[in-house]
Amino acid sequence: MAKFLEYQGKEWLAKAGIPVPKGRSASSPEEAQQAAEWIGKSVAVKGQVQAGGRGKAGIVKLVETPSEASAAAAEILVKTVKGLPVRQVLIEEKLAIKKEYYCSFVINNARDARCPMLMFSSEGGMDIESVPEELIFKMNIDPIFGLQIYDAIDFCVRAGIPNKELSKFASFLTKLSQVYKKYDCQTLEINPFVMTEDGSLICADCKMEIDNSSVGRHPEFGIKIARDLPGEVTELDMIGWSIEETDARGTGFLMNMGYDEVSPGYIGYHPIGGGSAMMGLDALNQVGLKPANYADTSGNPVGSKIYRVAKSVLSQPNIDGYLLGGFMMANQEQWHHANAIVKVLWEELPKKPGLPCVLLLCGNREDESMEILRKGLAELMTSDGIGKRIEIYGKEHVTDTKFIGQRLLALAKEYRAEKDAQGK
Amino acid sequence: MLEIKEKSITIGIDTNKCDTCETKACAAACKKYARGLLQIVDGKPSVEHLSAEEVLRLGTECLACEIACKFEGNKALTINIPIAGLDVYLTKRGLQ
Repeated sequence: MAKFLEYQGKEWLAKAGIPVPKGRSASSPEEAQQAAEWIGKSVAVKGQVQAGGRGKAGIVKLVETPSEASAAAAEILVKTVKGLPVRQVLIEEKLAIKKEYYCSFVINNARDARCPMLMFSSEGGMDIESVPEELIFKMNIDPIFGLQIYDAIDFCVRAGIPNKELSKFASFLTKLSQVYKKYDCQTLEINPFVMTEDGSLICADCKMEIDNSSVGRHPEFGIKIARDLPGEVTELDMIGWSIEETDARGTGFLMNMGYDEVSPGYIGYHPIGGGSAMMGLDALNQVGLKPANYADTSGNPVGSKIYRVAKSVLSQPNIDGYLLGGFMMANQEQWHHANAIVKVLWEELPKKPGLPCVLLLCGNREDESMEILRKGLAELMTSDGIGKRIEIYGKEHVTDTKFIGQRLLALAKEYRAEKDAQGK
Repeated sequence: MLEIKEKSITIGIDTNKCDTCETKACAAACKKYARGLLQIVDGKPSVEHLSAEEVLRLGTECLACEIACKFEGNKALTINIPIAGLDVYLTKRGLQ
């Protein structure tokens, strides 16, 4: 999912006519002070990261003056929450809160549903997870007709909203459901939305996640990369996205796994398919090796796509090996992998002579694929050749993660020792 | 020099080398691994029987012709597969 930070989500809510507090983002204490001056009253300073529990992490502060906003921003902008650095804060007006509510629109994947679902509770605010199940009200929404006002009124009655407020709440939830649909959201969570002392309903927070598949329909979002990534987008992530973005011929997924490009023990990781990827990680974990990246070339991708992924994986600096992990039986024709890998290794091994490459392929056209690999790499695989640490395995080791891991470790140790001896 | 453009790759064939190629392995590989776009005309690989649009539509970018030519033919065929951003990535790390 393409995830928006709170301030970004609120900007889109505001553009759709949903009330949000007056505010704007800031990247420095100075900008925070200017924003607080612009608002002209007490403000909330809220660190912007893709993580829950921000209040408990100490990155949400209420302050009275612009100089206090500046100081709070300075304190928050040096923090890291769940491994994510806080690069921006949202400065927004402090609300006179009468009561906090929770609502979210998500996809209900249940077999008998397969539609958006509204969840609502009058127990909004922090720790929605701790609210008893019976106080969270749920309703499936017709994906064609959306949330109708009469359904919203029935729902609000069920959720215990007083009669005199029904129309206001139903209208608010209906508008939010329209935003959910308009922006092709996967999740739209407002926790809390608040009723202010003067009786208005305002979105005090916003978690908006857009369906990756719909990003092409929304150039206005300016989303660079429509993927679920654990942290900030890296150059390797962007390269991976460029492989996939306009080419739907099978999967050619590639993403960074947060390796530091300096430490030893990282392996360029190229599994084929999700189950295979898990087994490959087992193989690495069992022997203390770490994946530099995640990749996946499954769904019978074309050779050029496999080549791009493999080449990018092998281009990562300072890796101690390359694992093509075709664990388990693949239904795709493996000879496309074989052709692509031969081409890549001929190009890349001269730059990384002796790099351990454990190649495991199994599945359709396995015999032909093995022949391509063995024939294509034979000249490299001589005892003193640049491919002397290439090892090729097929179905005999297709579930043998321990063996594959141990072979890779033994070769990686040899390679590292050789590099150390050469002072590299 | 014959240049064939598929969706995301460019195949370059030094057809001068093809006269002495006995295997014509590129065409055989194209038939086995893909849709047989490459045909041998006057001893050289050719896609003249297809329009540029047909080449784009039918080309599967399987890379088999290059591997076959390299190991069974006269090393006349190379495929250029651009990867957006990789040159910059490598240059920044002094690896280019």
